[in-house]
Amino acid sequence: MYRYLIILMLWASGHVCAHEFTPTYPELKPSYVAGVLSATMTLFNARDDVEYYEFGVFDAEWNKVPFAIQNKIMRFKHLEKKKVDIYIREKDSKDAVYICSKSKLLVDGGSKTSIISRICSKIK
Amino acid sequence: MFSKTSILFGTLMTFCLFVNAEEMEVVGNVESKCVVTPDTAGVYGNPTPDVLSSDPTDGGVDPVVRFDVIQASLYKARISHPISFSEAPTLNDTVVWTGDTATSQVSDTSMSGYDAAKVEFDNVTEFSLTVAGSTWFKTETQADYGYGKAFPGGVYRAVVSAECIAI
Repeated sequence: MYRYLIILMLWASGHVCAHEFTPTYPELKPSYVAGVLSATMTLFNARDDVEYYEFGVFDAEWNKVPFAIQNKIMRFKHLEKKKVDIYIREKDSKDAVYICSKSKLLVDGGSKTSIISRICSKIK
Repeated sequence: MFSKTSILFGTLMTFCLFVNAEEMEVVGNVESKCVVTPDTAGVYGNPTPDVLSSDPTDGGVDPVVRFDVIQASLYKARISHPISFSEAPTLNDTVVWTGDTATSQVSDTSMSGYDAAKVEFDNVTEFSLTVAGSTWFKTETQADYGYGKAFPGGVYRAVVSAECIAI
């Protein structure tokens, strides 16, 4: 009985407030625009305390690398899973190492959380 | 009562039903990933007028965050304790911040070496997630205000940053 209860609690906790960003090692592929590469990432927002995520591309020293995306900050409703296309110029792709997603808290303090989560994938 | 033909026909129909049964497959894909789950929201206790502390002995609650990795040695956890308030009343004096991050629970006994191998710099603590499974990290944080000054009344918030970085 207790075993099922623990499994149920773990299942619930894993599905209520987690942040997932995949794949771990995305590959940059040619996009429909000449000279621009793209990678498709998937974000799953299982955090019920966060609705907005910011995306960024960084080099090995954590400096920002220019990139294009539909919106740098995007809204993900609770339990929503979306694919996100990241576009990087071919000339910048040599510097790009990490693609990151970061949870955003509300400025007015209305967020129910005190923890920012950030997951970074490494470009192949 | 039934002719041989109708019995034969019935048998054939039953056989056809079995033969036409659809095959269904279940497909799964296990991919490497890191899942970050805030487990416990932190609360500051106010044991003395000039101290805000998340230590349970000071009346606080340490924030806890869980990292789940499907495959070993592909990610590192980087946890930063706060060095400023994200929300606070106006403060006229300096705040000195201290903090510490450590494992509070592990799903695999071989994760017990995480604390000994952790790397600390500035307000950051890094752990190599060398074992697949779940690890809970607890961050203790304390803010000391001025020199024996009391924190002004109001709401204080600070943010812990939990990062999972592919190696």
